[in-house]
Amino acid sequence: MAAKRTAPPPPPPTPNPIPNRRALASGAGSASPSKRMLAFHFLRALSRISSATPVACRTRTIRRAAYFSMARAASPRRSWSRALLRQVRVRRAVRSRRAVLMRRRVVSAAPAPPLGVRSISAGQITSAPLAGAPPPRQAGEPARADALRRLVPGGGEMEYCSLLEETADYVRCLRAQVQLMQGLVDLFSGQ
Amino acid sequence: MSGRRGRISDDEINELISKLQALLPESSRRRNASRSSASKLLKETCSYIKSLHREVDDLSDRLSGLMSTMDSDSPQAEIIRSLLR
Repeated sequence: MAAKRTAPPPPPPTPNPIPNRRALASGAGSASPSKRMLAFHFLRALSRISSATPVACRTRTIRRAAYFSMARAASPRRSWSRALLRQVRVRRAVRSRRAVLMRRRVVSAAPAPPLGVRSISAGQITSAPLAGAPPPRQAGEPARADALRRLVPGGGEMEYCSLLEETADYVRCLRAQVQLMQGLVDLFSGQ
Repeated sequence: MSGRRGRISDDEINELISKLQALLPESSRRRNASRSSASKLLKETCSYIKSLHREVDDLSDRLSGLMSTMDSDSPQAEIIRSLLR
């Protein structure tokens, strides 16, 4: 079995994880070349996490890193990846604003105005439509499409046709991300 | 918003829908006829996406648990570093 000679073999007698590693790195079995990009972005985010974060919010950070790296690896032509990246930026801005407001509130003891936050509920990246604007509904579009619009990031403002395309791409990328994470979990827990 | 339907033909929509159907997992595909209604397909897609989201959450949970037992000298960290090079 040809080993991937990128690192010196570790001295402790660990079982050889080479097949998993090759599957991870080469993205074998799929036509999309972006599996490598996915792995790259996600692993880079992971390595940055392990040095910095406290344990308590690590799950949340990993989940955010997963969606974020998914959006980065996807082509920026895709609306959903742009919408995801926008959400991350909004959340970061909101968090820093909120931190500033909290500090001011402590200082002045005055009630802070409520922030119009797009709250990310546990387990889902939602795409809330613009305040007050109903989602555009085409003739012949089934009622189920509203639920789909909520699930796919950025889906609130798309046409029906683009929604279908974006959904297909989103599902493909989601599946690749799940496979990647599953491979990593297997790799780490198979030691 | 009116008049859109004319530009985008039914055939294109059907094609997109069948592409979506091809993406869904095998089990639900077998149950449906090849010409299942669009709304049923959308429902399947919604539940599939939701289940994928749940899997991502579950996997990130497990990953965070696994990573907490990892230190920078372990072979796993070495693997990550070698993959990133």
